[in-house]
Amino acid sequence: MLRRTTLLFVVLFGLLTIVGGCSGDADEIATVIITATDNGWDSQMLHNEIAKLIVENAYDGYEFEVSTGSSTMNWQAIIAGDVDLDIESWTDNVATYEDDKANGDIVDVGILVPDSAQGLYVPRYVIEGDSQRGIEPFAPDLRTVEDLKKYTDVFPDDEEPERGRVYGSIPGWMADEILYKKYEYYGLDESFNYVRLGSEATLFASLTGAYNLGEPWVGYCYEPTWITGKLDLVRLEDAPYDPDLYMDGKCSFPEQELKIVSSNKFADKAPDLLEFFKNYKTGSQLISQALAHLDDTGATHQETAVWILKENDHLLDEWLPAENAEKMRAYLDSIDNN
Amino acid sequence: MSKDTVIRVEHITKLYGKNKSEAIQLMKNGADKDTVYKRTGVTVALWDVSFEVKRGEIFAIIGLSGSGKSTIIRCFNLLNKPTSGKIFFEGNDIEKFSKQEVLNYRRDRIAMVFQNFGLMSHRNVLDNVTYGLEVKKVPREEREQRGREMIEMVGLEGLEHQPISSLSGGMKQRVGLARALANDPGVLLMDEPFSALDPLVRRDMQFELLSIQGKLEKTVIFITHDINEAFKLGDTVAIMRDGKIIQIDTPENMSAKPADEYVRQFIDSADKTQVLSAKHVMVPPTCLVKPKDIPSQAIREMGANDVSTAYVVDDKMRFMGIITIDNAIRARNNGLPLPSLIDPDVHTCNEDTLINDIISLAAEAKYPLAVLDKENKLKGIISKATVLASL
Amino acid sequence: MKEYLLNFPDAWQFNIGTAIDDWIKNFSRTHREILGFIKRSVITSIKSINELLSIIPWWLLILIVMLLGWRVSGKKRVGLLYGVMLFFIGSSGLWDHMLETLSIVIASVILSVLLGFPLGILLALNKRADGIVRPILDLMQTMPTFVYLVPAVILFSVGMTPALMATTIYAIVPMIRLTSHGINHVDTEVVEAAIAFGSTTLQSLVKVQIPQALPTIMAGVNQTIMMAMSMVVTCALIGANGLGMEILVATNRTEMGKALMPGICIVFIAIILDRLTQGFVDNKEYNTFFRRRPMR
Repeated sequence: MLRRTTLLFVVLFGLLTIVGGCSGDADEIATVIITATDNGWDSQMLHNEIAKLIVENAYDGYEFEVSTGSSTMNWQAIIAGDVDLDIESWTDNVATYEDDKANGDIVDVGILVPDSAQGLYVPRYVIEGDSQRGIEPFAPDLRTVEDLKKYTDVFPDDEEPERGRVYGSIPGWMADEILYKKYEYYGLDESFNYVRLGSEATLFASLTGAYNLGEPWVGYCYEPTWITGKLDLVRLEDAPYDPDLYMDGKCSFPEQELKIVSSNKFADKAPDLLEFFKNYKTGSQLISQALAHLDDTGATHQETAVWILKENDHLLDEWLPAENAEKMRAYLDSIDNN
Repeated sequence: MSKDTVIRVEHITKLYGKNKSEAIQLMKNGADKDTVYKRTGVTVALWDVSFEVKRGEIFAIIGLSGSGKSTIIRCFNLLNKPTSGKIFFEGNDIEKFSKQEVLNYRRDRIAMVFQNFGLMSHRNVLDNVTYGLEVKKVPREEREQRGREMIEMVGLEGLEHQPISSLSGGMKQRVGLARALANDPGVLLMDEPFSALDPLVRRDMQFELLSIQGKLEKTVIFITHDINEAFKLGDTVAIMRDGKIIQIDTPENMSAKPADEYVRQFIDSADKTQVLSAKHVMVPPTCLVKPKDIPSQAIREMGANDVSTAYVVDDKMRFMGIITIDNAIRARNNGLPLPSLIDPDVHTCNEDTLINDIISLAAEAKYPLAVLDKENKLKGIISKATVLASL
Repeated sequence: MKEYLLNFPDAWQFNIGTAIDDWIKNFSRTHREILGFIKRSVITSIKSINELLSIIPWWLLILIVMLLGWRVSGKKRVGLLYGVMLFFIGSSGLWDHMLETLSIVIASVILSVLLGFPLGILLALNKRADGIVRPILDLMQTMPTFVYLVPAVILFSVGMTPALMATTIYAIVPMIRLTSHGINHVDTEVVEAAIAFGSTTLQSLVKVQIPQALPTIMAGVNQTIMMAMSMVVTCALIGANGLGMEILVATNRTEMGKALMPGICIVFIAIILDRLTQGFVDNKEYNTFFRRRPMR
C-alpha cells in the first residue's frame, strides 16, 4: 500500500518536471504588466481582449491583465494608479470625471467609440409589430419620449397595474440622474413608475425576458452593447442635444464619446503603447455587430476579438505603426495555421 | 402451552447488517459474535432465544451491556422486529397482528418503563401519565381521573401539574411507572428502570414495584444488569450473554446450580457488587465532645440531644472514643478529667465499607458505629437499626 | 503535446449554456399563464403585508417592539434599546423603506416556513427523500445568487416576485435542515415511549416529536429570518425597493456616508428580529406557552 502511494508520487512528480521543463523557455526581458478595468459589461470585455491581443503580440515585453470590479471601485483604482487604463470609459456617467481630470489624477488618452448613444429604448415590434411572430403594433404612433404619456396602459407595472413602468438606468450612473429628471420633465411621473434595477445584468435580463415574450418594454439602454446588436430596438426621439439643457434631462443625450482614460503614471510606464491607445478606435455599429456575433456563435470574447481583427484588416494600419502592424498580421496568420 | 403462559418466545434471532445469510451460516458452525462481526459486518443481537413468561410473575433478564437484553424486551411490543423466530402473546403470534391490532396491543395489553424514563418534557406530570389514554382517545375527564389515581398510587399526589424538569430522578421514574400502569396493561416491560437512580432511591423503587405488583398482580418482564436486583425481584431469572440465553431458573436454583462458570462468576459477584456502603446510610453524629471540655458541659450536651453517649473528637475532628453519660457524671462528681474516662474500644468502619461487612459489627456493637475517613476523622455514625433496616 | 498537458484540451470542452438559455426562454413563453398567476399572487400577498404594516402607526409599532423586547428578555432596558433603535430608523427618514424591506422579508419567511416545515418533517421521516433533497439544499446554499437571479427575472420579470423567490431559495434551507434535525434528534426513548403506548405515526409526530423539536425548529425560523435579511441588498439588484435599494444607489455613487444609514438600519432590524425570535427559543416559560391549561 505504502509502496504504491510512493510510486504514484514519483510518477506525478516526474510528469510535473516534464511539463515544467516544456514551459520553461524563459522570457529574458522583464515584462511590464498593463492592467485595465473590467467593469463587467460585454463591449468593454471585447475592447479589452482586442487591446490584449495587440499589446501582447504586436509589441514585445508587455502583458495585459484586467482588474474585475464595479465601475466605481475601478475608477478609484485608476485614480490611485493601481490600474493603468479604463478602456471604453463612459466618462459622462462618472460624476467626478471633470474634477479628477482637472486634478491630474487621470489622463484622457484617446477616443475609442465616437458615436455611442444612450436613452430610452423600446423593441421595434412595440411600434411596428412583427408579422413573423404574430405581434400587432402596441403603440403605432410612439416616436418620442413625450409620446409615452399616451401609452401608459401599454407598459403596465406588474406591481401597480394602473400605472406604467419605465426602467431607469443603473443606480449611481449620471445617466440615471439625468433620466430621472427627464422622467419628471415630461410629466411621466404622473402615470409611470420609474423602476431602477441594480445592475446591467438584471436590466438586460428584464429586457430579454420581455422581448422573448413579445411584450412591451421601455427603458434605459446604451450602445454599443450586445443587446443593441442582437435585439431590434428603437431609441425614442427627444429634443436635439443642447449642452445647457442636457443635464436637466430636457433634451436627448449627446452622442457620447467613449474614451480611453489612463492613470497619470501610464505614459511613463509604457511610452511605446501610448501611440496605439491614442489611435485605438472602433465604432458603435462594429462593436454591436461583433457582440451579436459573440452571442450567436457562443464564441469567447477572445475569439471574437480575433474575428474582428481578421475581418477588418485595415484597422491594424489605422491603429499601429507599420512595423507593429506587420508583426500583428504575422501573429494572426499563425493562429490561422493552427 | 400451559394456560397461564402469557408470553412465549420461540427461537428468536435478531441480526443487524446486510450479509445476514452468511452470518447465520457462521453462527450455526459455532463461530462467536465477534468473529461473525469481523467476517461479515453483521451484529448478532439475539441468537435462538426461547422461553416462557407465566402470568403474574416477575421475569428478570440479566446480562451485561451488549448481551441483547434491551433488544429482546423491545421485541415484545414490536419496537424491534426479530429477524426470525416467533413471539406469542396469549397464544397469538404478535408478528401477524394487523396495523390496528398492533396499536390496540400496545394500548391495552403491554406497557413499557424506560431506563432514562422516556418522559415528554413538554407535558406536565398528569399529561405524561395520561398519554397512553390520550392516544386511544379516552375522554379527557375519564383519563384525568384515572391519571390522578395512578399518580396517587406511586405517591406523587399534588404534583400533577408540575413540569417534568422539576422532578428528581426517583420521582421521574414514578411518573414513568404511573404512565405504564394507567393503561392497565397485563404486562409491564421494564428496561433497566432503576439503573439511572442512586442506590437508596433504587431500593425504594424496588420496594414500590414489589408492593404495586402485590396489589395489581401484573406480569413483569424486568431487565437489569444488577444480579442483586434480579435475585431480589425476579421469580424467574434469565441470564443472557452475547445474544444467547445461558440459564433460566429461580434465583434459589440458580445460586445452587449455576449452569456454567460464567453464571457462577456472575452470582459470586453479587455480594461484591453490593452497592450500599457506610456513607450511604450514616447520619451526622448528634453529640460531639472535645477532650478539654469540662464534664458538666458534656452532660449538658448529651441532655440537650437526648442521648446517653457522646463522641469525643480532638481539634481536628480526629476520633478518640466515646464517653457515656454515666462516666461523665462520675467525672463531675469525682472531679476527674474527661479524657481519663473515654472508652476507645468502639467499633469503627470506613466510609466505603459495604453494608454487608457492617452487619456483623453492628450486631455485636453496644453503641452506634463510628464512620471514619482515612485520617481518622469522624464522618458520621450508623446505628444498629439503620443497618438492619437497610437489608 | 505540451499544450494538452498545460491547458485543458479545447476538444474536451462542451457548452450546454445556450441549450439552457433556450429552454428557459421557451418555458417562459409556454407557461405564461401559470407564471403570471404566481407573479400576481406574490405581488398581492407582499402588498397586503406592506399595507398591514403601514396601518400600524409608527409609535404603536415601536411600543409593541419595546414591550416584546422587555417580555422576552425580562429586562426593561433591552426593550428601551429596541425602541431607540426603531426611533433611529424613523428619524433617519427610512421608516417606509424599512416597511418595504420588512414586507419582503416577512413574506419570504412565511413562505419558507410553510414549505420548509413539512419538507423538514418529510426528510426526517423518509431516508430516501433525505438522500435526494440534502444535496439540493447544499446546492441552494452555495450556488451564487446571481446565477438564479437572472433566470428568475426572465421568468417573473423584475421586482417583488423574483426577489421573493431568490430570498426564499436562500432562506428556506435552515428551516428545512433544523426542522429535520430537530425531529431526528428527539430523545430516542421519548419517541419509543410514544410508539410503545400505541401512538400512530401521526400522533407520535404531532403529540411528541414536533413539540419536543420545537426549540430547534424555532432556531430554524430564527436562522431563516437572518438569512432573509442578508438578501436585502441582493434583492435590490432586481428592483425590489426598500433599504437595500437605498444602499445600492448610494454605493454605486461611492456615497459611503449615505450608504451607512440604511446599512445601520438593516443591522438594527436584524438585531431586533434575532433577539426576539431567539428569546422565544431560550425562554424558560416557553414550554408553558404551549402547554394546555389544566382542567378542573
